[in-house]
Amino acid sequence: MSLLKYESTLREPLVDGDKDYHQVSEDICRPIEVKPLKSWYVGFGISVLLLLFGVYSIYRDVTYGIGQWNLNRTIGWGWDITNFVWWVGIGHAGTLISAILLLFRQGWRTGVNRAAEAMTIFAVMCAGQFPIWHMGRVWIAFFVMPYPNTRGPVWVNFNSPLLWDVFAISTYFTVSLLFWYSGLLPDLATLRDRAKTKFRKFFYGLTSFGWSGSTKHWQRFEALALVLAGLSAPLVLSVHTIVSMDFATSVIPGWHTQIFPPYFVAGAIFSGFAMVQTLLIITRKVLRLEDYITIGHIEAMNKVIVMTGSIVGCAYLTELFIAWYSGNPYEYDAFYKYRIAGPYVWAYWTMMTCNVVSPQLFWSAKLRRNIQFTFIMSVVVNIGMWFERFVIIVTSLYRDYLPSSWSTFYRPTIWEVGFFMGTIGLFFTCYFLFAKYFPVIAVAEIKAVLKTSGENFKRGMEGIEKESVDEFVHKHAPSEHGH
Amino acid sequence: MQKKEHWQSFGQKDGSEAFNQLAKDEFQESLPVVSPDEGLFDAKAPRRDFLKYLGFSTAAAALAASCEMPVRKSIPFLNKPEDIVPGVANYYATTFVQDGDMIPVLAKVRDGRPIKIEGNEKSTITKGVTNARVQASVLSLYDVNRVRNPKEGKGNEPTFEAIDKKIAQALAGNGSKPIVLLTSTISSPTIKAAIDDFTKKFPSTRQVTVDAVSYSGLLQASEAVYGKRAIPGYRFDKAKVIVSIDADFLGTWVSPATFARQYAEGRRVTDANLDMSRHFQFEGTFSMTGANADERYTFKPSQTGAVVLALYQALGGSVSAPALTEQRLKDGIVQAAKELKAAGGNALVVAGSNDKNVQIVVHAINELIGAGGKTIDWTGTLNYRQGIDADMVKLVDDMNAGSIGALFIFGPNPVYNYYQADKFKSGLAKVPLTVAFAQVEDETATLCQYILPVHHYLESWGDAELKPGYVSFLQPTIAPLFKTRAFATSLLKWSGNDKDYENYFKEYWVAKLGGIDAFDLALQAGISEPAQEPAIGTAAFNSGPVSAATSALAQAKAGGQVEVVLYQKVSIGDGALANNPWLQEMPDPVTRITWDNYAILSPALAAKMNIHAGDHYEVEIGKPTVSVKVGDKTYKLAAIIIPGVHPDVIGVALGYGRDPKIGLAGGGIGQNAYPLVGYDGTGFTYAATDASVTAAGDTYKIAQTQLHNVYEGRTSVIKEATVGTFRESPDIFRQMDKELEEEYGDNFRENGTLYKDEDVYDRFGIAWGMSVDLSACIGCGACVVACNVENNVPVVGKIQVAKAHEMHWIRIDRYFSGDMENPDVVFQPMMCQHCDNAPCENVCPVNATNHSTEGLNQMAYNRCIGTRYCANNCPFKVRRFNWYDWLGADSFPDNQKPLVEEGWIDPILNDMNDPLSRMVLNPDVTVRGRGVMEKCSFCVQRLQEGKLNAKKDSRPLRDGEVRTACAQACPTHAIVFGNANDSSSEIFNLRKRENKNRVYYALEELHVLPNVNYLAKVRNTERKVGMEKEA
Repeated sequence: MSLLKYESTLREPLVDGDKDYHQVSEDICRPIEVKPLKSWYVGFGISVLLLLFGVYSIYRDVTYGIGQWNLNRTIGWGWDITNFVWWVGIGHAGTLISAILLLFRQGWRTGVNRAAEAMTIFAVMCAGQFPIWHMGRVWIAFFVMPYPNTRGPVWVNFNSPLLWDVFAISTYFTVSLLFWYSGLLPDLATLRDRAKTKFRKFFYGLTSFGWSGSTKHWQRFEALALVLAGLSAPLVLSVHTIVSMDFATSVIPGWHTQIFPPYFVAGAIFSGFAMVQTLLIITRKVLRLEDYITIGHIEAMNKVIVMTGSIVGCAYLTELFIAWYSGNPYEYDAFYKYRIAGPYVWAYWTMMTCNVVSPQLFWSAKLRRNIQFTFIMSVVVNIGMWFERFVIIVTSLYRDYLPSSWSTFYRPTIWEVGFFMGTIGLFFTCYFLFAKYFPVIAVAEIKAVLKTSGENFKRGMEGIEKESVDEFVHKHAPSEHGH
Repeated sequence: MQKKEHWQSFGQKDGSEAFNQLAKDEFQESLPVVSPDEGLFDAKAPRRDFLKYLGFSTAAAALAASCEMPVRKSIPFLNKPEDIVPGVANYYATTFVQDGDMIPVLAKVRDGRPIKIEGNEKSTITKGVTNARVQASVLSLYDVNRVRNPKEGKGNEPTFEAIDKKIAQALAGNGSKPIVLLTSTISSPTIKAAIDDFTKKFPSTRQVTVDAVSYSGLLQASEAVYGKRAIPGYRFDKAKVIVSIDADFLGTWVSPATFARQYAEGRRVTDANLDMSRHFQFEGTFSMTGANADERYTFKPSQTGAVVLALYQALGGSVSAPALTEQRLKDGIVQAAKELKAAGGNALVVAGSNDKNVQIVVHAINELIGAGGKTIDWTGTLNYRQGIDADMVKLVDDMNAGSIGALFIFGPNPVYNYYQADKFKSGLAKVPLTVAFAQVEDETATLCQYILPVHHYLESWGDAELKPGYVSFLQPTIAPLFKTRAFATSLLKWSGNDKDYENYFKEYWVAKLGGIDAFDLALQAGISEPAQEPAIGTAAFNSGPVSAATSALAQAKAGGQVEVVLYQKVSIGDGALANNPWLQEMPDPVTRITWDNYAILSPALAAKMNIHAGDHYEVEIGKPTVSVKVGDKTYKLAAIIIPGVHPDVIGVALGYGRDPKIGLAGGGIGQNAYPLVGYDGTGFTYAATDASVTAAGDTYKIAQTQLHNVYEGRTSVIKEATVGTFRESPDIFRQMDKELEEEYGDNFRENGTLYKDEDVYDRFGIAWGMSVDLSACIGCGACVVACNVENNVPVVGKIQVAKAHEMHWIRIDRYFSGDMENPDVVFQPMMCQHCDNAPCENVCPVNATNHSTEGLNQMAYNRCIGTRYCANNCPFKVRRFNWYDWLGADSFPDNQKPLVEEGWIDPILNDMNDPLSRMVLNPDVTVRGRGVMEKCSFCVQRLQEGKLNAKKDSRPLRDGEVRTACAQACPTHAIVFGNANDSSSEIFNLRKRENKNRVYYALEELHVLPNVNYLAKVRNTERKVGMEKEA
């Protein structure tokens, strides 16, 4: 494309430092090719231990029964579905970055998309555990699959939002995985080409699917990326919309609200970006990738956080307003008596503080660009978003229509916490393996970005800036004969 | 058009004789049956086939030997007994007899096992009522802790014959020392006759009757003023005004199930007839009866005399009553007196006190208002309790003096429930011969020299005379499970009679009824009653003792800082059935607490100890504890705040704190409050008037099934109003309906919705419906236990109830309204509402819960994967999830055992899963596995059975032919079940005609279209309660 893409000298470069293509490959591939740091082993070890604890917790749950969770006749879902929604929400940032930002041609996505997409996949894997293992009879979980069967004329219930979940989550996972993996192909080929050991050659040779870097490959690669982006873009909206319908289609006051789909999607992106921040702030530091994941990236994501956080805040206030305005006494009570007051008051105000009040600090550019502050905020946001789901699920269920059934105080047992810890272990185990064996930044895409951003590009720009307008037009404008 | 003719053979075409002959037989060709004469074994096997046979049989033997075949222990009948059809239940009439209470019942026997108790509707006294204890009693038959062998001393298990010999020796060597038969109330004519025979043989015998909770005061008062030592026949149905002074006559007093039926009859309202009785309750703590009262006032136990005297005085009795300070109480007494007087004899005053003087004055009051012969029957006196306290006290003194030669104990358990148990124990040690006739090795039996196990009532022959001339029979419904022998058989043996009790009983009644046929018929009916009901009788009143009684009462001592009321719980009663897990798990009607006793106290008293009934108190399982001190005895109990308890009164339930040896269900649960019982020289007092209470500082876990006590003004859940309001504006409960009717006409439910579902509105055939009358429901919990029994609802134990994991398909919600000092109570039985537009159905991903064409919301357990969404989405929260494998139903063997060991589950689960306990399971109902959702099915197994019976007879189902277990058990007929499409059915009549104005559907605005309707509660009071007419 001969059309010049102009980047102002004032604009922050997307890649810091004067990098050439080789340097980029070196920087990003180096951590994969050297022995991991001690901290990697420590982190990985802890993650695996957490994962094992989670596996044991699930073993107990399956072998002896879900009674070991403190759920009860009134609160049928607690930590299990809270965690499910939380993890699904976290996944959303990856898809948003890879799909929607790609379609909107946001150059800055290249620094973060690979890690964010990986995070999406791992988060969805974690999320998927909960609807499966929270079942009373997980050994017949396959009953949710609509396929011709020998169980008589029984079929799944297409009216049930839980069934929609099955389709939504599985589609989401499949598309995200394809997107992520197809994006990895050129980089895996790079690693293969740089490989010095037999095993690496074999492993990356196998995983790169014979990528040769030919023009045809690139052409198809670009086309596939666009197609998958097109597929994923609606998924960003649909998955959490459907998850929200698990609640919105019910009759329970506090669940039965039409605002849920947009509110859930905004919340998902909000928590997803926070999780990306948490991961990348550590990753860039440990793997010394500050040049690629720049402060500019972090600021851009903080802007998304403050915006989605404000949307979520609006949603909270709308819920409160409607609870009053609707004149529905059950909904009024659910919000005004048992959420913003009542035994779970702390959960509600933790949510409010973390999700609505604290992100507003990001209006300050100084704080947006402060790495320590961003890190703390990213954790705070995810705590807040966890509480949002907890508030929606538990504080709606514990006091609904008939006061006679109102529940005891719900505290998780060790095995409920264990299950959650297990998914955190699973997530970080996967992330540690990913960070060790796969390029955490899309090498090929960064190289593409270098054509339009960064020191190199700016140096070339200096010459152009000195050119007269006529000269410039002559050189760069599309010729009348086409290009 | 010509009809085409088909034929199979020329024979058929021509109609030949040979063909016709063949066509007559079922098989036209002869069957290849080898006749036995020819002998299959004579058939020659060719030599070559021998090798084939050898090879095949070797292979088969090897296969059979190597594959482990499951061992199935099912033993078929060699000859089918005439009256047993597998899968078809037999019903035997018998009688529930427990500590004096007697209820004629039918035992449902399936394949030789009694599995359910229903009321015997032939009895004119009970008319088929039961209560929770009757319903639960079938499990006591299969109690794993029953004594299985006669025992001598510790561990030695001789035969009955050996023991008989030894006892005969001991009795022969007894000399003239008194032989005492210590029994609970015995109303059996034949056992009494056997006792007489025994007394003839051993003239030094005397019978001492003791009731765990005594009615001695009432008996002695009757004797004093009417000359009859008896409990009069109360007729609550005839009373227009009922005043109860601390008598829990609906829950625990005398024969509560019968009284509840009468009470409901006197208070049943329809749209046309709003004439219902008025009920005043004066009490210290909060009883279930008080919860049903129209007007309720509180007083302290030390004021009992003053209250009774004040009432006597207000009615014109010449007495100077001690002053009462509480204005509200005084006004209440005046008001009650006014209405009693105005009722013209159709009024009744009862008192729960065991003080003879109180009962004398109450008799005098009833005499003043002319109740005798109208609401009080002196002909049909009640035989339910006969114990005289002074006799028992004297016996214990005699025992300690060493003057008793032998003590035979049948029924009572004084080591547990005598007020000075230690004194009884030391006396027991001094008696040379002690024999316990017991079903379980209870506290007393273990200290006796011999334990002779006796039958459970379902294994027994016998009779029970409820009131003179009204006898109900007992017949065995199962062969004795263990080596047990009837009490009377032992007596007969020892008195030299070689007949056993069965024959003795039979001869007695054959002679009395005039022939074996009459006896068989009576046994079949279960009852023998006078052909014509005798008129309600009067008795001559002797006013002599009244003045002494009044002056004694006037000198009552003032109470201390607080006073303790010892009450009985509706479920556990005096504690005899404490080891019944169904009763332990039945929530108390008022406190909604299971598996424990505790201190119930008023919010005011709690606040003094800095215990506040706020959110924190409500949602935490651990309740603050208080130390209750009476004399030198201190009890640390959980403080349960119940509005409406007298501010200076603490209620503690009797019947708890049984010895751990009696079993896992009752043993070690709660604390024994019997040591707080007093003795005033003539009778036991069930209150401690001088007590103190302090906060103990720590918490104690309480398993409560309902934490929130008020309905938060949610009038679509509970609709109630006063009779006056309802009479004035009959549409008060139908405000929303009326608005909709204006717009959409009579069929507004159908026409007023955008989502018109033909399946729902145009249902033909059967549409099952249930109606629950909140005015009639007294909250007794009979339905809860009946449902447990019928539907194999698992017991989960205290730990799990505390986690809100209880499995009850039906519960009775209890809501307080009004002010904290004097609240009103409404009970609302809540079960699956079988919504036609059920929120649970459309959220199930696998269609495990769906709708039948008859309107049932049904569960396909095998489909259920356990997502619990249906339970979350149920507005009534009636769905119950199997958090564990409660009944050992799933494919993980014994998977609850490790959890029991780790303390996650109560060990009671092991007992409930014992093969013996499992005999009580209803084979018609699936035992649900772990991870499956369950809920009320409207007893679908009964519906199917009824429909099949009707189909077999080619007739439509009759109304009343099928009833759910709850509807059948309800003593007040609050629950009506039937086909709502059948215009001749009771439910149709009630919904569309009789009670049209009170019909409402809970949470109707959600448009879930329940098939259960409620009838709004009306209260016979002038106070402002419930809904009021809009100005």
